[in-house]
Amino acid sequence: MADQANFEADAMQFAPQLYSAALRMTRNPADAEDVVQETFLKAFRAYASFTEGTNLKAWLYRILTNTYINRYRKAQRRPSEVELGELQDLYLFRRLGEQSGASESAESEVLEQFVDADVIQALESLPDNFRIPVLMADVEGFAYKEIAEMLDIPIGTVMSRLHRGRKALQKKLWHLAEERGIAGRAS
Amino acid sequence: MSRSCDHAVEQIYFYVDGEMSAFRRMRIRWHLRRCGGCCDAYDFEERVKQMVRNKSRTEPSAELIQRLHTLIREEAGDEA
Repeated sequence: MADQANFEADAMQFAPQLYSAALRMTRNPADAEDVVQETFLKAFRAYASFTEGTNLKAWLYRILTNTYINRYRKAQRRPSEVELGELQDLYLFRRLGEQSGASESAESEVLEQFVDADVIQALESLPDNFRIPVLMADVEGFAYKEIAEMLDIPIGTVMSRLHRGRKALQKKLWHLAEERGIAGRAS
Repeated sequence: MSRSCDHAVEQIYFYVDGEMSAFRRMRIRWHLRRCGGCCDAYDFEERVKQMVRNKSRTEPSAELIQRLHTLIREEAGDEA
């Protein structure tokens, strides 16, 4: 059992990354701040139920994710389980390869030209049910099993959503690269 | 593209995520050593994952951090 008196010292170190994750979920700073505040309040009140020595970061992200889902998903009229249609493997790698021809490092060089705003826009374009697994795996570094527990879904569902979400993210990145003239049209 | 390339592409995210048994990992490594195309693809996917991690963070305002500290202290005060 964790001591509530230690909560501030234990949990506040995760506040910046929890805010960043909340912002990627809500796509809006005011909403992200609300979600983070509610998360810290709930976490503080429930801290006695947290088992010391287990993963505090995962525990906090679970509360964050549930807070977001409860607050915003219910409010949305549109169905949250959106499908993505057909997606190719190695989407970005193949598109970039087609245009660069032989050069081996060209694909990776293009990646360096993406700025934060591109990656954020691509992430935020994903529907919730794909965005959250991608966020948790790629940005926060959680394992499949941890994400499954966080979202209360089977591990197989985590895998398929994460893998499909990544392909959709790459498709979006490719379109952004084309729009910005990093790739595609120029050649 | 051989059948082992198809297999390698199917397994790419499990490998990149470290969600694969040591034996399967070793089999993939054998293939990558012999196949430049798959090796490039694996490198690329790892770089994309790194890029998403490195280029998607937004820092909170100092005010929010302060507000969270205050929130916790007020809540602790209420319960004391």
